[in-house]
Amino acid sequence: MKKYRLLGISLFVLILVALAGCSSESSGNSNSGGNDSNAPQELTYATTSDAVGLSPIDTNDSVSSAVIEQIYETLFIRDPNTMEIKPHLAESYENPDDRTWVIKLKEDITFHDGTPFNAEAVKYTFEQFMDEERAAPRASLLEPVESIEVKDEYTVVIKTKEPYGPLLAALSHTNASIVSPKADKAGDLNQNPVGTGPFVFEEWVQGDHVSLKKNEDYWKGAPELESVTMKVVPEYSTAVSMLQTGEVQFIDAIPSAQLPRIKSMKNVEVQKKEGTPVYYLGFNMNKEPFNDINFRKAVSYAIDREAYVKQLNGLGVKNNSIIGPKVFGYDEAASEEGYSYDPEKAKQLIEEHGFEGQEITLLAANRESYMKMAEIVQAQLTEAGFKVSIETMEWGTFLDTTAEGNFEMTFLGWSNSTADGSELLYPNLHSDNIGSSNRMAYDNPEFDKLVDASRVTVDQEVRKQKLHEANIMAINDAVWIPMHHGIVTAAYDKSVKGLELDPTGQWSLYNVSRE
Amino acid sequence: MVGLIVNRLLQLVLLLFGISFLVFMSMHLAPGDPATIIGGPTATESDLAAIRAELGLNDPVLIQYFDYIRGVVQGDLGYSFQNNQSVSEAIAIRFPQTLNLAIASMVVAILIGVPAGIISAIKQNSWFDVSSTTIALAGISIPNFWLGAMLILIFSVQLQWLPVGGLNAPFWTMEGMKQLILPAITLGTASAAMIARMSRSAMLEVIRADYIRTAKAKGVKRNAVVWIHALRNAMIPVITVIGLNFGFLLGGTIITEQVFAINGVGRLMIDAIAARDFPVVQGTVLLVATLFVVVNLLVDIIYAFIDPRISYD
Repeated sequence: MKKYRLLGISLFVLILVALAGCSSESSGNSNSGGNDSNAPQELTYATTSDAVGLSPIDTNDSVSSAVIEQIYETLFIRDPNTMEIKPHLAESYENPDDRTWVIKLKEDITFHDGTPFNAEAVKYTFEQFMDEERAAPRASLLEPVESIEVKDEYTVVIKTKEPYGPLLAALSHTNASIVSPKADKAGDLNQNPVGTGPFVFEEWVQGDHVSLKKNEDYWKGAPELESVTMKVVPEYSTAVSMLQTGEVQFIDAIPSAQLPRIKSMKNVEVQKKEGTPVYYLGFNMNKEPFNDINFRKAVSYAIDREAYVKQLNGLGVKNNSIIGPKVFGYDEAASEEGYSYDPEKAKQLIEEHGFEGQEITLLAANRESYMKMAEIVQAQLTEAGFKVSIETMEWGTFLDTTAEGNFEMTFLGWSNSTADGSELLYPNLHSDNIGSSNRMAYDNPEFDKLVDASRVTVDQEVRKQKLHEANIMAINDAVWIPMHHGIVTAAYDKSVKGLELDPTGQWSLYNVSRE
Repeated sequence: MVGLIVNRLLQLVLLLFGISFLVFMSMHLAPGDPATIIGGPTATESDLAAIRAELGLNDPVLIQYFDYIRGVVQGDLGYSFQNNQSVSEAIAIRFPQTLNLAIASMVVAILIGVPAGIISAIKQNSWFDVSSTTIALAGISIPNFWLGAMLILIFSVQLQWLPVGGLNAPFWTMEGMKQLILPAITLGTASAAMIARMSRSAMLEVIRADYIRTAKAKGVKRNAVVWIHALRNAMIPVITVIGLNFGFLLGGTIITEQVFAINGVGRLMIDAIAARDFPVVQGTVLLVATLFVVVNLLVDIIYAFIDPRISYD
């Protein structure tokens, strides 16, 4: 019988060895660190989930946005360094009055299908975006818009119902990208996207990958990369292994637990940048004692955010401000407000108001980062004398449960993809949005007034001031306790040059090349 | 035999009705609204209402179910809530990978499990028997995601023999085979262990039977006794296990697909459940149920070929 046993073992070894022999040539070169000047101008990016669709009008998730960013363009963009808004597909703009925006467009730009980019295309895109039947998930971005008129071939006039300050920020949002009217009318943009961007859509095998190729006729000059593949790799640790072996060259949004492993890889560069996302602990303002300011203050004093941020391996910044340092409306004075860790004060408040032994259920979506927050906060609040339990839920259930207000305290984040404070305070904390995006049901007329003021004026200095005042008010009401402000991250093979992260975590591959 | 097949297929239709009803209802009763997931945390109440209306979620659940069934009967599995792709197409893209992986894992499982079980039985209580029984126990106990991650670290990252992930080259090419090896071992290990245990016990039972003793007494060679007389009779319970396992493999490749970045039906189903993409969940569950029944039917048919005592007429 020995020979059968040996046969089995040797067969297995033989197969592995045979394959090993063939594999050295294919995987060897990609791993060498890229000194080869004739490196293929190809890039593979790994994402943990698939895009939902490739139409900016019909999607609202970050993976879709990452693809859309490469194919389409917006009228305005935010400079990743100065955070100022600049014209992009637009040439310039003016405000003859505070409800009217006259936007001049760049000329001689065409969509990938040859359709000319002009005022008609802009009007068509935005009208589709606002069309109720189309039910664009981010329709609220342009909700204040009353009408869009074509003044001439390259001038479009946008009128808003009320003066609307964050309009340019809204127009710089990826979902407000301009689409080819011809392509949208002819078919499904989700499957066959057509924009003006540096890369042209080639193929989407759903669940597997999206491939793009360079736009030879791009109006700013063709990109260096010949082709881009965005591959779905659901397990982050698998993606890291692929980065190590050279099967992919670029990953982003690094979880803090993976950072040490990635840093130890010789062929890989890590980019970190202070970003716009904010992660917070929120209180349900419809429940007692969570609607009691003294209770919230006691909780805030009891949570050591410094200690929490430390275990993020550098992937977070502690700041008491709700509007983060990279978001429009931030003023450094805000970081001094609020209730930083002070166990003595916490104890005092707990004793004074009889919160000793108060039961608290922390609701956390079952994502690693939120569960971690819940565990740490549980430990710290227990220390302070509360009785804390954790309830976890799958994401879909979590969204429903929090929207219905069936929770006491919970953790959430906001990516601030327009990097504008109005777009943070209005949806999340304005009483207009109680029952939907204002999950904490925060209802403060004074605060509402300030946020409204920040929205209805087009004077950016005044806006900033109003946002700052609103920010201070919310911080001191302790309706959100900011756990940390995000650091956006990317890791890429050393052969990849020219990649720059935006503080919103997005990136463009236009300036990227391989060496 | 024909009677059996017709009978089973009729049962299948009833079964699928039952399953579709249960899944449909449980998806609608479970918390989590597809519109809130599509709209994301930023969606306002009016955004959500518009999305719900577009998806047809405002009709009573029973009406939605009958609309759905009417489509299914006509071969239309509906369209994904998430991206409007036809569900049949979404499944068609992914099924080949899952089938590929399930078959490869089964091959691994049989190649390892059957010989290991038989040798263990013939050499009962030898060192081979003890170690293979222990390994089998470990094989059943080791979680897939851990085994997969370890294999990647050893064979892909350290030794660089095999690719980390993906399964897109056809299996008859060198590239395709290389992509298949690690996932197939990961997924096949537990089945191999079960098959080994079953082969061992079935074989032990058979070797003790009278007719084997008779055969030995008549001077038939030892190898012939084992491989001709005993094996065929020991195979019946083994084939049952193989069939059941194959059914599980077809529906249970989720974790392996996840670890190795394979675009298969399991991941389609899990993603759809998370996104409350009802039509896709329904479609994939119906597919898996159908496959399970069909595989079991095939097993019954194979019985008749192997064991002349079994007849369906």
